[in-house]
Amino acid sequence: MRRAGVLIAVALLLSACGGGGGGTTSGTSNGTPKMGGTLKVSQETEINGLDPNTSGLVVEREIYYNLYDSLLGIDAKLNFVPELATSWKFTDDKTLVLTLRKDVKFQDGTDFNADAVKFNLDRYMTSTDPAAARKSDLASVQSVAVQDPATVVLHLKRADATLLATLVDRAGMMLSPTAVRTLGTKLPTAPEGAGSGPFQFVEWKRDDHLTLKKNPNYWRKDKAGRQLPYLDQVIYRPITDLNATLAALKTGDVDMARVVAGKDVASVKADSTLVYKDTPSLGYGGFVLNHSVPPFNDPAKAKAVALAVDRAQILKNVGFGIGVVSTGPITSASWAFDSSEKIYDKPDPDKAKSTATGFSFTLKTANTQDSIQTGQLIQAQLAKAGITVNLLPEEFGKLTLETRVQHQFEASLQGWSGRIDPDGNMYAFWHTGGSFNDGLYSNPQVDQLLEQGRATTDQAKRKQIYQDAQKIIVGDAAYVFTTNPAVPQITNKKVQGFTLIPDGINRLAEVWKS
Amino acid sequence: MVEYLIRRLGLMVPTALLVTMGVFALIHLTPGDPATVILAESYTPEAAAAIDRDLGLDKPLPQQYLLYMGRLLHGDLGHSVRNKLPVTQAIGERLPATIELGIAALLWSLLVAIPLGTLAALRRGRALDFVASGLTVAGISVPNFVLGILLILFFGLLLRVLPVGGFAALTDSVPDNLSRLVMPAIALGTFGAATNMRFTRSSMIEVLNQDYIRTARAKGAGWWRVVNRHALKNALIPVVTIVGLQVGAILEGALVTETVFSWPGVGKLAVESIFSKDFPVVQGIVLMAALAFMFANLLVDLVYAWLDPRISYS
Repeated sequence: MRRAGVLIAVALLLSACGGGGGGTTSGTSNGTPKMGGTLKVSQETEINGLDPNTSGLVVEREIYYNLYDSLLGIDAKLNFVPELATSWKFTDDKTLVLTLRKDVKFQDGTDFNADAVKFNLDRYMTSTDPAAARKSDLASVQSVAVQDPATVVLHLKRADATLLATLVDRAGMMLSPTAVRTLGTKLPTAPEGAGSGPFQFVEWKRDDHLTLKKNPNYWRKDKAGRQLPYLDQVIYRPITDLNATLAALKTGDVDMARVVAGKDVASVKADSTLVYKDTPSLGYGGFVLNHSVPPFNDPAKAKAVALAVDRAQILKNVGFGIGVVSTGPITSASWAFDSSEKIYDKPDPDKAKSTATGFSFTLKTANTQDSIQTGQLIQAQLAKAGITVNLLPEEFGKLTLETRVQHQFEASLQGWSGRIDPDGNMYAFWHTGGSFNDGLYSNPQVDQLLEQGRATTDQAKRKQIYQDAQKIIVGDAAYVFTTNPAVPQITNKKVQGFTLIPDGINRLAEVWKS
Repeated sequence: MVEYLIRRLGLMVPTALLVTMGVFALIHLTPGDPATVILAESYTPEAAAAIDRDLGLDKPLPQQYLLYMGRLLHGDLGHSVRNKLPVTQAIGERLPATIELGIAALLWSLLVAIPLGTLAALRRGRALDFVASGLTVAGISVPNFVLGILLILFFGLLLRVLPVGGFAALTDSVPDNLSRLVMPAIALGTFGAATNMRFTRSSMIEVLNQDYIRTARAKGAGWWRVVNRHALKNALIPVVTIVGLQVGAILEGALVTETVFSWPGVGKLAVESIFSKDFPVVQGIVLMAALAFMFANLLVDLVYAWLDPRISYS
């Protein structure tokens, strides 16, 4: 995905996405799905709005995927699967043809067709809203043409193999053109009838609850031919305090939560009334080195740091062992994962010392407990290689501003939540001039590979390209990767049939309560 | 009296003005910017610049303040940065929940404090006094969020007699509303209960030693009548002062308590708005809280006159 990404603190990744390593990828289903019931889901923060055009939060995506349909879907292995588009084909480098489902109506009765797709994509691409966020997602699209009611053609400015992944997320979400026009400014707060997804909007009482009810005309059926979704109602509740989340899970006040504190995972696993599952995520934690200023304009010093870091210790002490040690930007959840890539797998302070020693640098971190603790571990680990780390905890907004916009840092602890396509985990970060190239890293070979990755549609070839790029990025210590968190899911025993997908979003169409 | 009221109300204007200045300056001194938070995973420098322009953040600070004050004089507190709602609406939607919680917390603090404080004074130096004093120390020492979590653990998780959080509108279900109100109200009101109890006790002891109490007793009035009719009303004057100040403490405590109990009030809104740099909402809430505090203390001054006829404001 070509989306310009954003950083999130390692602390957030570790605490917010804390999950156990080696978990299952799909939920269990005991017997025949039962129709009906209400599922109460806890969310770690309140959403800002319900319009995909201006959305920037993961908790919003969680609701959108159950309210709206995207053009393409993904399965647990991140393969593209048909959703509103039944098939897709690049007829040449710059032309993507989508064949659309013909039996779909939006919840307000409007037909879903090629005109609706054009309306939505044009709306995203030409939005004048200052908070419009899909414009940059669809930057490679020149124009959208309606070929016939069931066929739409995307003409691109340049080859962009990441576009399919973009169309899975919010930029590919289709809203009823009638609803968008008639709702106007009410769309972000009460999108009645706007979706075509398994559930439809009922009410949103900010900071208290958001209710969706079953869409009786949803186009999908299960394998046995039963109408989806199974549930009658879904209620999302924002519970910002993780202790309260856990209490609500234990008492049955909520049925499902995406996040509990890392420290509580062990007790959740031990609780016989709860079910804990996780799957490797697409995100990573670690710290970026600024290659444009001393000391890391000296490549040897950057490598020495990467060599001396004990990733397993960070995972164990800060991440409560949830997730795995990171070996690079492509995690085991991705089709492009390279299991042989273990350049800095184990700490080697002696080798670090012989590479470069006796220098110092400042590591900026967010002022959260997890971030500071991670910083302290790194400080102690690097001391063994004769490298002095000065810790500077900062407010997250300030840290982001100084790292991302002003590049005023030597090292900065920043993680990334991950994207479906490897491009989304790499291009913006390490391509020269990339929008998230905070460390001002520049390597012509990496630039060439990342360009090539975008222009190549064959997945096997792309896999090789991204693995080659990853080797250089990790080897150069463009960024010091430490941990890959897991995507967890905690439910009570009644919740059945959910599939954990590495993007961390719960699709609830096939979920039921026993 | 009317003249006094007008003078007090008039004094509120410069105070409120100072509050707006202070909050405005403080909020713009805090690190980080709204654009980073709004755009989150979709951040680009261009998009951030567009948001700054849209919010007027590209203008010099004094100009931003004057624009803000200009709008404020027209009753416009601005719009939420997060979800574009008018600030008055954002606060208005949450206010009933906070008022309900605040009243419940205040009631809890008074219903516990006045009887217990009075009893402790009457049984001075005896077991009940020691127990009451012990409870007071505990109530003052335990922060409301710790008490909140302990209540959740005990009544929510262990006994499972009360829901662990959330809110139900009074109009939807009175029992559901009240059952969810109990724990946050206790968590929020206990500090006040402990403080009020101390004041009631010491004030009561002082009053009970007054000559007129002895006179009343000598005239043959029973203890209950003396305490209830003669002592308590006079002993409550310092307590009323403290209760006025407690309105501020309750508003402050609501920040944490509402977060712990997922109570959708102004306190929770304030916490979320601070974290998301939603400065128009934060400014609106602080202004509202300052006004509420000033009015509560005005009310206290007026109650003095009722409690003690010797106090005159004319």
